[in-house]
Amino acid sequence: MSYWIAFPAIIAAPVLGGLLHGADRVIRARMQSRKGPPLLQPFLDLLKLLEKRQFIVHSYHALLALAHMIVLWVSIGMLFFNSDLLMVIYFHLLATLLLVVAGYSVRSVFSNMGATRELVASLTYEPVFVLCVIALFTQYGTFQPAGILTSANPPLYTLPFIFFALLIALPVKLKKSPFDISEAHQEIIGGVEIEFSGFYKGVLLVSKWLDYVYVYSFLYLFSGGQLGLALAIFVGVFVLLAAVDNATARVTYGEMNRITLPLVIILVVINYVVLSIQRVAI
Amino acid sequence: MSRHSVRSPWLLHFNAGSCNGCDVEILACLAPKYDIERFGIVNTGNPIQADILLITGPITKRARERVVELYVQMPEPKVVIAVGACACTGGVFRGMYNVENGVDSFIPVDVYIPGCSAHPEQIIDGVVKSLGILAGKNKEMEFPTQLRGPVTIDRGQVDRRGLAGSVASLEKGCTNRGTEN
Ligand code: SF4
Repeated sequence: MSYWIAFPAIIAAPVLGGLLHGADRVIRARMQSRKGPPLLQPFLDLLKLLEKRQFIVHSYHALLALAHMIVLWVSIGMLFFNSDLLMVIYFHLLATLLLVVAGYSVRSVFSNMGATRELVASLTYEPVFVLCVIALFTQYGTFQPAGILTSANPPLYTLPFIFFALLIALPVKLKKSPFDISEAHQEIIGGVEIEFSGFYKGVLLVSKWLDYVYVYSFLYLFSGGQLGLALAIFVGVFVLLAAVDNATARVTYGEMNRITLPLVIILVVINYVVLSIQRVAI
Repeated sequence: MSRHSVRSPWLLHFNAGSCNGCDVEILACLAPKYDIERFGIVNTGNPIQADILLITGPITKRARERVVELYVQMPEPKVVIAVGACACTGGVFRGMYNVENGVDSFIPVDVYIPGCSAHPEQIIDGVVKSLGILAGKNKEMEFPTQLRGPVTIDRGQVDRRGLAGSVASLEKGCTNRGTEN
């Protein structure tokens, strides 16, 4: 992306993410034949949180939430500024770890449990993101988004199985059913979020939106820069995630790893085999 | 004035010894048929992120400390709704040895929803009414009427948990709590 597009896009990232989150809530409601909240509900939530009285457990706890959001934002900025994809992933992991440390730093059982589950979840989705980037590298010979976006055939056609593997990891990343173990509202009341209120809960809300942007920009890579294809991917994945979220119940974290990891590894291996057969055939 | 709380009120629901009749009706409001999410309402299980406290049940002696603790842990602005006849006055349990005859004997209540059990329509009506009250409130601190602890300030922060007093101070000479530790 040129600098003139990247800068406003980075500034607008939370707004885009907020809209995605709002649309997600509306679509899920419509699927249950409810009316659902207004599209701008996430922003109303944020404004509400800003005007509440503030409770802070201890200052580092609050600071870590802030750092989490900033590092997440930086990782999205790096993605938009055509930086190395592996670096983007590691920055994103750093953001997650800051949140995990915040979760462990208070004496709340749910918060600690949420932090552990956050770690387990990142153990599930991070390898998928890394494998995905490595596959992109073997195919396109570059770790930079620009190289992938300018190539003639989009990764969706050359790496379809990797795309499916990513699809399996997405509910884990976005904390959606059946893999929403790290949030689990009925069970551990939001996990690491539990001790945040007011402004800092708002910060975590914005981080959630940034996560949406991060994931969907990753999916954009698979369209190879073709806008029609990108739109199809976005809408398809969006509706699919909402449908799966509505239709499934939460699994335990052991089951999550047992279900996702073998499936993902098989998909990735299949894709490598297909690619190498193609190479040999040529 | 809290303008935005009105568009995004988050609920905390607590059962203070109710028969579960009213709890089921509250859950019915959240389910697709009555869909109170259309008002932006979310059911959080977390007092420090909630705006509206929905209490069912007559406040049993076991539950009163919990009610007060949940109440003081909610950040202002906040409103309290008593759902069902027994949360309003004690209802069918009124005058029994183990209950405290209604929520308002411990914390200030903003909206009373009568009925045994309260209908979902009534609950929605009550919640919407409470939004008007929420809009008029500000960040000023609110306190429980009984079981009130001292306001201690530690490094510029109010100790919220200390605001809830202990039952021991309330019931000097009460025998059936003395044996617990
Ligand atoms: S008001 Fe009636 S239905 Fe509701 S909790 Fe009390 S006894 Fe049960």
